[in-house]
Amino acid sequence: MKVNFNLNNKKVSIDVDPMKRLLDILREDFGLLGTKEGCGEGECGACTVLMDGKPVTSCLVNACHLEGKTILTVEAIAKEPIGKLLIDCFDETNAVQCGFCFPGFLVSSYYFLISDGEQNLDKIKEALSGNICRCTGYQKIFESVMLACKKKQLYSHRFSLIHPVR
Amino acid sequence: MKTVKKVDARRKLEGKAKFLDDYSYDGMIYGQFFCSNSHHGIIKKIIFPQEYDLSQFIIVSAKDIPGKNIVPEPECDQPFIAEKEVFHFGQIILGVAHPCKETLKDFIKNIKIEYKELPALADTKETLKDEMNSFGRKIIIDYSKNVKPKREWIHTHSVYYTPHQEQAYLEPQGMIAIHNQEQKTMFVKGTMQCPFFVKDAVEAIMGDKIKEAIIETSEGIGGAFGGKEDFPNIIAGIASLLSYKSKKPVKIVLDRSDDMKITTKRHPSRVEIDTYTDSKTHKIKKINIDYRLDAGAYQTLSPVVLSRGVLHSGGGYACEDVYIKGQLYKSNTPSNGAFRGFGAPQAFFAIESHIDKIAASLNLDPYEFRRMNIFRIGDEFPSTQKITENHLFDCFEKVIEKSDYHRKIKEFAKFNKSNDDKKGIGIAIAYHGGGYTGNGEKVLNSEVKIVIEKNGVVKVFVSNADMGQGAHTTLAQLVNETLSYPFEKTIVQIPNTSKTPNSGPTVASRTIYIVGNLLRKLALKIKKELQFENLEEFISNNQEYFPKEFRMHFVQDPSVIFNEETYQGIAYKDYSWVACVAEIYYHSVTYTIEPKRIWAVFDIGNVVNVKIAEGQAEGGIMQGVGYGLTEFFYKKGYGRMQGLTDYALPTSLDIPEINVEFIHTNSDFPKGLGEIPMHTPAPAIRNAFYNATGIFIDEIPLVPERIIKYELLKKK
Ligand code: FES
Ligand code: FES
Repeated sequence: MKVNFNLNNKKVSIDVDPMKRLLDILREDFGLLGTKEGCGEGECGACTVLMDGKPVTSCLVNACHLEGKTILTVEAIAKEPIGKLLIDCFDETNAVQCGFCFPGFLVSSYYFLISDGEQNLDKIKEALSGNICRCTGYQKIFESVMLACKKKQLYSHRFSLIHPVR
Repeated sequence: MKTVKKVDARRKLEGKAKFLDDYSYDGMIYGQFFCSNSHHGIIKKIIFPQEYDLSQFIIVSAKDIPGKNIVPEPECDQPFIAEKEVFHFGQIILGVAHPCKETLKDFIKNIKIEYKELPALADTKETLKDEMNSFGRKIIIDYSKNVKPKREWIHTHSVYYTPHQEQAYLEPQGMIAIHNQEQKTMFVKGTMQCPFFVKDAVEAIMGDKIKEAIIETSEGIGGAFGGKEDFPNIIAGIASLLSYKSKKPVKIVLDRSDDMKITTKRHPSRVEIDTYTDSKTHKIKKINIDYRLDAGAYQTLSPVVLSRGVLHSGGGYACEDVYIKGQLYKSNTPSNGAFRGFGAPQAFFAIESHIDKIAASLNLDPYEFRRMNIFRIGDEFPSTQKITENHLFDCFEKVIEKSDYHRKIKEFAKFNKSNDDKKGIGIAIAYHGGGYTGNGEKVLNSEVKIVIEKNGVVKVFVSNADMGQGAHTTLAQLVNETLSYPFEKTIVQIPNTSKTPNSGPTVASRTIYIVGNLLRKLALKIKKELQFENLEEFISNNQEYFPKEFRMHFVQDPSVIFNEETYQGIAYKDYSWVACVAEIYYHSVTYTIEPKRIWAVFDIGNVVNVKIAEGQAEGGIMQGVGYGLTEFFYKKGYGRMQGLTDYALPTSLDIPEINVEFIHTNSDFPKGLGEIPMHTPAPAIRNAFYNATGIFIDEIPLVPERIIKYELLKKK
């Protein structure tokens, strides 16, 4: 089946099996390898992307759900100002260990920053609860996102130009 | 020393770092395994599904192995591929490859197999109960004095159980094998801890069909925790076989449910402890320990796990009369293997739980009782090794102070009197010997290499992988700081067995402790040899001298003598120490324990990179919390858990606040850190639960189902 959707701010169209997972479409058809498969069953969040602006686990989205949708992956988010800010904060605290979970964490925390962004530990924990990290014990991830919230507020004038995520 | 940022972090954050599944090669096909669904049986017939064209599939069985069908391990008893008989659920029977992943999956799903079923043992507790099921070498540490217990000595006896634990590295296991016919080599790329182990395995299975196996790790290794110590040998071996037969590159990446079903886990344990304690002096007078591990169907590396478990099972307490017996038990479940701690977490769960039990029977605060018996200078391990520092005691006092233990004990007692929900606080202490046990490091004879290039890049060659623990950053720091050289120009190379010397496996908390200290020595030697003021200037002024290679072997301190027969002597040259306090809130309506806070104070010697060290400690503590509270395989060895959906890993909402501190950091060198954070959270939480409720549970995890059982018992 043919599907048309918007991928990382570009219109794309492909011919695929309607049941093909978005995760595989990204990795195999578009070579976007940043999105990872940790479980294939919607549990770990390593495959998180934004679909119409909301985080979804791409291993549970099939091609047939994609028509007309807007997908943003880690590759695009890493280039957005808020994405960059988060990367700086994760880097600053040496939060990254094996890093396999981090593309997913970047997407989820990006969503938190643009949709809320309050420097509130409980809210952050909630926002990241769909992402599993087996290495870090989460402490430095929380610290990084808290830091990013703080910096975003401090420099809000710099981020005000960002276009809303579609 | 200072914290530098991790070298690999940005590429990983941006999604650019390549993990195994991100590599592909021309003409590459996919491989998977067909595994047994019987615990024990003789294979009668394998029926392939009719609807597929068999010629499209590459299929290998034990018969296709040109070399040896034995995985090289400390105990060589496990085949790569089952021959006629399967000995456990999930044992590999066939390797299958095909160009299309989906077709391959469907094909394997539809293969039928018939067995003649044989008797099997799949339940851990049953296995460990009966001495008939023991196998392999028995280890005994006899430090007993045959003193008859006196009347005023209090006897305490208990049996402690711990379950399987899944490493759950977030990146599943995977390997790519590429056979080169002309050169008769096998190139294998994979997510692994020990490239030289994999090399031995591939060369063993391929026999004379290849001249050399060249093993390289992927850029990113998505967590390992011991799980990628020995199982990669099997995947690499079979991937090589498939590549040899198909003449194509073959990639095997396990999907999560296969990874959980067939790979190694932490050994379930049964530890029985008998103690006698003087009711007047509160000194432990006699300890007797029976330490048992369920090894699974084969011994593989379990004898080494047993050895470490036994050596850590006495805990951090002085006692003049100790007898420890350790043995492996055989069941029809997949072989268990390495997992952060390697036998020690089981040991510390038992002894630390037991200490609280003795304290309770003496009506003493667990802090006071520990204080009476904790190791001090001059005490001895049961292996007769002398304690030469009070660092465990210092960690202990520090964590008590940091956690405000004494105030909380009182406050919680008050709270608990008037509330159905309860608050609790618990202690656990532990140690971990760095590097291989006894003479192991001598045998390993690790070698490291540094090459200084003309362009000023200092390349560091070791066979140790960075699987997230930050080794390649920390090792670079040890070199660049010794050479007073820019960090950015000091680069640890991706391990590749044809380029990196064998500096040993990435295990046993040895990477920084053994390899890092060795690299530092080599850097010092370079400094002495080149006599430079400033290395950057020296390189540009003496271009003709470079590139220049420097190498060094590990030399064991001659005072380290360990008798592997009697288990007497110096088991580990240096120990790391930890003391931990856990605070919990018990929800009486839901029977759930909420871990609130964990404090852990470590002595790991010199801390090279504080943030990386903290991250290691926090991650290990989290795995310890999971071990104590949620993680286990429900089904009795059968089918195990099917994926991350039914195996409960701690999420951001389950994790307590973690406070870590390192003391005695002004020491000359760094000691091991990788494993020790895992040892104390589970017993500390278990002890906190006792403090909250007055109920001793001698088994983890403390899931509501189990708590209900004990609550009911108490009410009776
Ligand atoms: S791979 Fe999609 S949630 Fe784990
Ligand atoms: S850093 Fe390894 S899973 Fe998160």
